[in-house]
Amino acid sequence: MTEMPDDAALTVEFDVFAKRAGLDIPADRRPALFAGFKDLRRMVALMRQPRTAADEPAGTFSILSVTRGL
Amino acid sequence: MTAIGLDVANLSLVDAADAVRQGEVSAVALLEACLANLDAHEDAVNATIWVDKEGAFAAARAADTKRAAGGPIGPLHGLPLAHKDMYYQAGRLSTCGSAIRRDFVPDYSATVIERLAAAGAYAFAGLNMAEFAQNGTGHNRHHGDCRNPWNLSYITGGSSSGSGAAVASRFTFAALGSDTGGSIRLPAAANGVSGIKPTQTRVSRYGVMPLSFSADNVGPLARTARDCARIMSVIAGHDPRDPTSAEMPVPDYEAGLNGDLRGVRVGVPKTYFLDDVDAPVRAAFEASLAVLAGRGATLVPLTLPLMDAVATYASVVSRVEGATIHAEWMRQRPHDFATHINSRMFPGLAIPGTYYVEALSRRGPILKAFATEVFGQVDLLATPTIRICLPTIAATDVDDGPPGTEQLALGISINTRPFNYLGLPAISIPCGFDPNGLPIGLQISGRPFAEDAVLQAADAYQRDTDWHTRRPAIPAA
Repeated sequence: MTEMPDDAALTVEFDVFAKRAGLDIPADRRPALFAGFKDLRRMVALMRQPRTAADEPAGTFSILSVTRGL
Repeated sequence: MTAIGLDVANLSLVDAADAVRQGEVSAVALLEACLANLDAHEDAVNATIWVDKEGAFAAARAADTKRAAGGPIGPLHGLPLAHKDMYYQAGRLSTCGSAIRRDFVPDYSATVIERLAAAGAYAFAGLNMAEFAQNGTGHNRHHGDCRNPWNLSYITGGSSSGSGAAVASRFTFAALGSDTGGSIRLPAAANGVSGIKPTQTRVSRYGVMPLSFSADNVGPLARTARDCARIMSVIAGHDPRDPTSAEMPVPDYEAGLNGDLRGVRVGVPKTYFLDDVDAPVRAAFEASLAVLAGRGATLVPLTLPLMDAVATYASVVSRVEGATIHAEWMRQRPHDFATHINSRMFPGLAIPGTYYVEALSRRGPILKAFATEVFGQVDLLATPTIRICLPTIAATDVDDGPPGTEQLALGISINTRPFNYLGLPAISIPCGFDPNGLPIGLQISGRPFAEDAVLQAADAYQRDTDWHTRRPAIPAA
């Protein structure tokens, strides 16, 4: 999911995800939903980053722990 | 009884509450003034979804009776308020701006509604909002688009569209909004009012329709920072019915407002928040920095860490959580959502769990890095709330607009969304007007639980400016 496929491959992916999610996408909504899917797919492709010590469980989000550290 | 005269709905919340306390104006007179504005301008602005005038007059008369009897009264005694239509009030409609919940009547009330009532305020209307709080523009297919009282062709910002428009239009003294990506600060900026998103966990979310477990926040929109401070002192604090709410003491936020910013370091971003900012917005922002400096603040240019990552992770988290909440309705009733809501939510179901966890797992380290690298150097961070001059309703109508409309609409929240992912407090206050006569917002954020510092800076700014006192001349519909 880290690379952006072409539209044909994305269409297949879109249909598989819709089926898996149990969604019956109305025909009149399909272009808008596919556009949204493409946009999110582009964004998600940017996500993966190297993991460091900061990503250990001790780094789990807690706004209180950060407050104590300031 | 109206010893003050003129339009008492034009008073700030604090001044109105103090006038009731002193017996200078009655609760009924405040309500009548708000309803007069509502009757005159609601057709044009479309800020409400329902209004309960009969119940409001009963509450106002009861407030006057209680004050006349003597004894203690709360800090919001006799004030008519109206809230985004997603705060549950037992026995009252709560549509969440949707068709799906058009007839939903909860049998319990939100903690914040109960706390406001205990302070003496009452709610008389449910305010328009984006469908299920899911856009930053204020478009609504089911209840009609909310229109900006400064110019009816322009967006109000969202998702708390009616909250911003109703406060600016003097329909109410304050309104609760909710903020998952900017939904309090965007309408505050767009309508020329003040609105604060508190620290994540600072205010209970019990009885509030959720959008994103990790990013939702409850907070007020009002005329001034001082108004926000008074409301925050009432609604903040731990709630046993919301285990995610912080067990931190709540200061008297209003008592800390002294106008003195000497020794306060204000960070000014060199990157991200000022990228592609429209010239009028930049000019207003730079002028506002001078005001803060004039109050004694030291301005510190800053390069911010990890902002692109923050923006991406924030979107992934909120979309997955929103899709989770709405999944069953998406399966059963896809046509009951507006198309643009559907197209934003559906992809959330397509994100693998590992990516969602990835976005969540980065949140702690990124917050720590941000807190160290930014708030190790400064006390507050100042940015424009919205980078661009406000667009029109037509230009951001995603369902009917040309390609690119979605990007314009989503771009509205690019400066507000990071603070939801980081969980930090942030306020938007008015700081000028663009060439079209639409308001511009200044955003000030701070360390976790530093609402007091954020409010103090905003209040100090408003002591030397009058943007927050200006009132739109609302044309007929």
